[in-house]
Amino acid sequence: MLAYLVASGITTGSLYALIALGVVVLYKAAGVVNFSHGEQIMLGGYFAYSFYLLAHLGYVPAALLAVMGTAAIGLLTFYVGFRPLIGQGMMSVLLATLGLSFLLKGIARYFWGGAGDYLAFPPLLSPQPVDLGIIAVLPQQLVVLAASGLILVSFALFFNLTRMGKWMQAAAGNIKAARLLGVPVERVFLWTFAVGAALSGAAAVLMAPLTLLYPDMGFLLFVKGFAAAVLGGINSLRGAVVGGLLMGVIEQLGAGYIHTGLQELSAFLIIMLMLIVMPRGLLGGPEARRV
Amino acid sequence: MTRLLSSRNCLGMLFAILAVLPMIANLYVTFIGNLALIYIVLSLGLNLLIGNAGQFALAHAAMYGIGAYATGLLKIDAGLPYFIAAPAGALAACAIGTLLALPALRLSGIYLALATLAFAQAAVWVFGHWDAVTYGAAGFSIPPVNFSPLPLRPELGMYYLSWLVALLLLVFAWNLVRSRLGRALIAMRDNEVAAQALGINLLRHKAIAFALSGFYAGAAGALYAGVLNFVSPEGFGLFQLVIIKAMIVVGGLGYVAGSVFGAVLLVVLLEAVRDLPSLQEIAFGLVLLSFMLLLPQGLVGSLRRRFPGWDEPRHVSKAAVSRILKAPAVVEVGR
Repeated sequence: MLAYLVASGITTGSLYALIALGVVVLYKAAGVVNFSHGEQIMLGGYFAYSFYLLAHLGYVPAALLAVMGTAAIGLLTFYVGFRPLIGQGMMSVLLATLGLSFLLKGIARYFWGGAGDYLAFPPLLSPQPVDLGIIAVLPQQLVVLAASGLILVSFALFFNLTRMGKWMQAAAGNIKAARLLGVPVERVFLWTFAVGAALSGAAAVLMAPLTLLYPDMGFLLFVKGFAAAVLGGINSLRGAVVGGLLMGVIEQLGAGYIHTGLQELSAFLIIMLMLIVMPRGLLGGPEARRV
Repeated sequence: MTRLLSSRNCLGMLFAILAVLPMIANLYVTFIGNLALIYIVLSLGLNLLIGNAGQFALAHAAMYGIGAYATGLLKIDAGLPYFIAAPAGALAACAIGTLLALPALRLSGIYLALATLAFAQAAVWVFGHWDAVTYGAAGFSIPPVNFSPLPLRPELGMYYLSWLVALLLLVFAWNLVRSRLGRALIAMRDNEVAAQALGINLLRHKAIAFALSGFYAGAAGALYAGVLNFVSPEGFGLFQLVIIKAMIVVGGLGYVAGSVFGAVLLVVLLEAVRDLPSLQEIAFGLVLLSFMLLLPQGLVGSLRRRFPGWDEPRHVSKAAVSRILKAPAVVEVGR
């Protein structure tokens, strides 16, 4: 029981880690939280569904196209919900992206689902569990783990080795200094939105075969990703990964041993508790209060 | 001439129209008018908290739900008459709202927004899952309110009760923002450190702001329970929150009159696109987005600039709106 819960917690946790990474990158570099983050995930799932089942592409091309599609949504978010509001504060970005999230949700409901319509993505691999010594796992779970590990590693390489990644770090460190040193800050923001959205698209295509697609799925996933980010420390990329995995395990253990309701509720409880007791998170940097 | 077009006159006109509405309109329109009155109370409360006190909390829809649930449950489980259950419901929301001021002491900006949102979503979850007390996801119905000494049908009685409550709370808010307390809240919004230096106790004033806004939301919830005679968790979720938020953004952050006009306008819009949930979401998303981008001061804010006679308090300037939205982050990134 314990091993099974931990294994499935780590699987969902690796998806939360991808979402949390998008939240953290955006918060670090651009200083904002995008409220339509969850809708990017939801749309990523629908894109994958459409390319795979309606356009009859293979899973891998469909997944790649879906990730590109969500990255495009990220660019849209940048141009509509962020760039016109630069210098107007993060609350106006929050409200604008809240508006955008409902716009996207409404569009998705209009095209893909009526009231309460759930679309099921067919399983890609055999639903027969694989026996791994002490526990049995679904092949899809192994794929999710491997793929999200790969994505996390390539993100780390991108962030540390490419010029754009270094620019992002510079912008996150000190935006004024970065601008003085000639970093094209606005282009960095654009890339940040695209990368964050691509990460949520990747989470969506990996998640799709394990779950149902519906227009309201995004918000709860965003909240879980945000909870993971807060748990690990909202300005720490490593924290996002650790927080995501922990978040997945905590909610599985809570649901398994205490009450099934904790599956939904744990993210809210973690956000409230962490923000009040330990706002820096487990791996977050030092706190500085702006006066 | 421009003096005629002042927010006081417009508000008076609106309430006069709402007062005669049940006599000239059919039941459906009267019901919409009643909804508008409830939303006026809701957005007045939220605007006091966000627009005047600068506390960016996202728990208003949950406070609304707590007011409705407390009223309904006190009526059917404790057997209290509506006129005792309703004020008790409003006070329950007020008490829980006051407790939300505690995290607001440590958090601001995005953190406060998300902590209160997490609280609100947890509350909605409790409404839907604590079957023993809240009757679960299906909700419960309440017998119609009895206005027995007065010769009023329940619908009409609730309409005029809502009208009266909305008017009283409007007058209260109108006077509050001009009072010493209202100016203290505005000082706290504009600069916490400066406000503290002026002798404004932040703990007390944050608690007052949260308590007031909780009371408004709770009163609206109590009215809602009486008007619909039915309470279920569905009405108090994220969409409700966005509707109320869009009302104060459309009307104008920090303007008492803005809360009223935004509420009425958006209730009408909500009804116009009611048939399709997807269209409702698209319409509300577009309204919120376009007002943030094009008219961040809201309708009343731009009216005030056009018509010099528009008698809004001077506390809300363009700079103040940008200060509301520019709440500082707690964590400065990347040290």
